[in-house]
Amino acid sequence: MHPTVVMSNHVHVYVSQAHKGELVMGAGVDSYNGYGQRGSFHLIERQMAAALELFPVFARAHVLRTWGGIVDVTPDASPIIGPTPVGNLFLNCGWGTGGFKATPASGWVYAHAIATGEPHPLAEAFTLERFTTGALIDEHGAAAVAH
Amino acid sequence: MLLIACPWCGEREELEFHYGGQAHVAHPAEPEGLSDSQWGEYLFVRDNPKGPFAERWSHSAGCRRWFNVVRHTVTHEILAVYPAGQPKPVILP
Amino acid sequence: MTRREPAVTADTLRRSPLGHLAAVFAEHSTPAEPSPAGEPSRAAEPSRAAEPSIAAERCARLREVPFLAQLDLQLEPGGPAAQRIAAALGTPLPTAPNSVAEAGELRVLWLGPQEWLVIGPDGSAPATAALLSAALRGEPGSVVDVSANRTTLELSGRTAREVLAKGCALDLHPRAFGPGDCAQTLLSTVHVILDQIDRTDAGPTYRLLVRGSFAQYLSDWLLDAMEEYRHPPLTP
Repeated sequence: MHPTVVMSNHVHVYVSQAHKGELVMGAGVDSYNGYGQRGSFHLIERQMAAALELFPVFARAHVLRTWGGIVDVTPDASPIIGPTPVGNLFLNCGWGTGGFKATPASGWVYAHAIATGEPHPLAEAFTLERFTTGALIDEHGAAAVAH
Repeated sequence: MLLIACPWCGEREELEFHYGGQAHVAHPAEPEGLSDSQWGEYLFVRDNPKGPFAERWSHSAGCRRWFNVVRHTVTHEILAVYPAGQPKPVILP
Repeated sequence: MTRREPAVTADTLRRSPLGHLAAVFAEHSTPAEPSPAGEPSRAAEPSRAAEPSIAAERCARLREVPFLAQLDLQLEPGGPAAQRIAAALGTPLPTAPNSVAEAGELRVLWLGPQEWLVIGPDGSAPATAALLSAALRGEPGSVVDVSANRTTLELSGRTAREVLAKGCALDLHPRAFGPGDCAQTLLSTVHVILDQIDRTDAGPTYRLLVRGSFAQYLSDWLLDAMEEYRHPPLTP
């Protein structure tokens, strides 16, 4: 599998392989705010079920460890990239669980915003202003985040 | 996995419930008088405390009733369950 | 001579979501056939001749009870309309959460503080709906025929509770759940209304009301969950 990332929107899981051969998988988010960083058991269970749906051979693997982080999610599930009303404060956040796959592109447009003070044309729709103008990205993350 | 005590059905597992976000967010009395940013604030800006948080839940796979819960966002301990419309109970941090 | 076609009526056209599985349910509600002689695993253990009876005791049974009449009733409990409906049905509407009242052929399930499901035999929906609507007499509330929303699976036998325990988080032990109790919950992630209709020496009988489009999935899951009880236990 190395060095690719395989993901499925349909069953909702992504998996990549570390250099030592271990599989690293990720998927869902708790529906509620939390700082516990534990990862709910039912999410782990569903993620494993999704992974087995994609790769039945994974049934022979063992779970070494699980962990959860803090996921920053916006009301329309798309990221916020660009300047803010506060001078020299720029945002690149709200990527949900999809950030690392979009890192190169987001870094590119974010660098443009920092260098010029204006959002990059590709990321214009993703500024903080959309929560005032109402021009939300109405695709539940499909526009920028991979799932 | 949370164990949430529905006011009607008693303790049920988290999967039976739907999360409704922060409780006690009142609809503006005169929405037409608000600026875009005030309206955006009402729609999208929510508290995100590290500690007790009053929030709405619905027992969506059960009796489908909405109610309020005070949950600690770090320990996930459920500190209070009370009907929608009642004032937020005083919880000492 | 002209051949006469059978009359096409609503009854001949209608299909229950699980009608095509009746034979499968029947087969999986009986112990598995012992393996043919000569198969190594069985041939090595001739002492297991009594297996079929052990398996018969363990075996859970599943069948579809199609086309039950289901009426969703919503109104304020305790008001005059609730009293008229109680008189019309012959039983008060149950107000204890997740409890069931019986009235003749009808079962009245508590679904919420202002909501009940009235279940009756196939074909009884129009008459019961008329009865309830008349008793409601224009007061705030509603009577809706939701018979086509769900089909009913009936699971029974000594291991029926163990089968459900594989996919349901509720405590169904007799100390917590018995005849007269119902629950809306998840079984293997599927929304079901669980109604225990009986408990005898032969085990409990549960009815599972499930939406038509989830019925095939839930049946597949149940058949798989029941499979182990068609065989003698692995550890005696």
